[in-house]
Amino acid sequence: MVKPPPITKSKIFDGILISNIISLAIVGLTKFSADGLESNNLGSGSGIFIFSSFVIVPLLMGFISAWYWHPLQLKTSHYIGWSAVNSVIAILASFIFLREGFICLIIVSPLIFGFVVTGALVGRIIFRRKNDTLNVSLFGVLLLVIVVDTFSGHENVHMVSDTMIVNAPIEKVWPHVVEYKPITIKEEYWLFKIGMPSPIQSTVDGHEAGAGRKCIFSNGYVFDETMTVYKPNEELTFDVIGQPHDPEIMGHIDILRGQFILKDNGDGSTTVIGSSWYKLYVFPGWYFNVWSESITRNVHLRVMDHIKLLSEENV
Amino acid sequence: MFDLVVKYAAPLKHVPPLPHVFDALLKIWSLLSNRNLLDYLDELEREVLLWKGTSIVIHKYGGTQFNYHGKELGHIHGNGLLDVLFNRKVKAELIQKYTLNEHHIFKDSGWISFKIKNPEDKQIAIELLRLAYVSKSLTPAPLPEERGGILLDDR
Repeated sequence: MVKPPPITKSKIFDGILISNIISLAIVGLTKFSADGLESNNLGSGSGIFIFSSFVIVPLLMGFISAWYWHPLQLKTSHYIGWSAVNSVIAILASFIFLREGFICLIIVSPLIFGFVVTGALVGRIIFRRKNDTLNVSLFGVLLLVIVVDTFSGHENVHMVSDTMIVNAPIEKVWPHVVEYKPITIKEEYWLFKIGMPSPIQSTVDGHEAGAGRKCIFSNGYVFDETMTVYKPNEELTFDVIGQPHDPEIMGHIDILRGQFILKDNGDGSTTVIGSSWYKLYVFPGWYFNVWSESITRNVHLRVMDHIKLLSEENV
Repeated sequence: MFDLVVKYAAPLKHVPPLPHVFDALLKIWSLLSNRNLLDYLDELEREVLLWKGTSIVIHKYGGTQFNYHGKELGHIHGNGLLDVLFNRKVKAELIQKYTLNEHHIFKDSGWISFKIKNPEDKQIAIELLRLAYVSKSLTPAPLPEERGGILLDDR
């Protein structure tokens, strides 16, 4: 491999350093502004990590790096390679300075890489033209999008529902829906395997609407819940009133409600429908909802598999 | 993959910056699947920029667009698919001469599509753009030995 001259190395380094400093400053500022607006009841949503943070800022990072790199006439493949390095540094910086969680960063990394590369490759062509008016306008438009996005509301509530047939009568299933002993089934889902907490146990304070329920996760985290509907052998609905202060969750997602509906199939088996409602604070919603839906579905399946196992034990 | 996205997600090409993100993803995929393809595209770009009056811009639906005094000669996508505009008569002749396809969207037009995979394809792509350039400029594009090594990009 040919060793690049010092000027090339310096320009590449400048592109990475400056783009990271500016992006960290913008994300920090938008986060600060959104927090401030919310604490003063001026903002319409908890826009902690908004559309801009994961789309416009990485695009801007790519543009800024291309601004430094374009005089070097690098190959397209080198733009992609250095953009990958730039993305890794941005992700590490988010881990250190923004205290983001490890799993969150894994989830967000394809998005950041895709947009950093896009910004760098678009910038590579745009900056060849030496059109300063166009270049300044482009930065202006991106910054305007960030400001507008920061001051906009971000409501994004979703529901995920899963169904399972349990080969046991409804009255055998119900007690395990309300509370269950520790799950011992081996974890199958890849995010659970690499360290994402999975559900372990559920306990209740009483057997009536208004009683407390706790959902305990593998790392000891507890979701505090209040049962709002308690209809034995029919429906259990609970609102989540307290969730763990974990960087993987805080400011990214609120779990709002959970529900189990049981249906007697008339043949000694029971249909269990598990549903969860959650609110996302990370945007673009379409991207993060793919992940949230997958994670929620696997939480459901882990609990429902366990309920099935316990219910079918003594049938 | 490219054909599927073009067929079923066509309306998304109007949503900025999705076409450019898609083209960037195509380039990443090209880098992984045919390591030299991006180098061929760079060489093609460098060659066309040596012709007087040419420039490159971002194609509105993703990719690199080659212009002659602001008029499009053709554009190339991140997977090496070159689209060039001719009149229908020239298109019919070129399809006889080279292994070209109808344009991947505008079949009934003067557009042709040609997929670059290897250095020979790159030469054909240069020839196609050279023909489009000549028909637009009415002056021949300089052959490599006539250029004298002057870099004319960044205009």
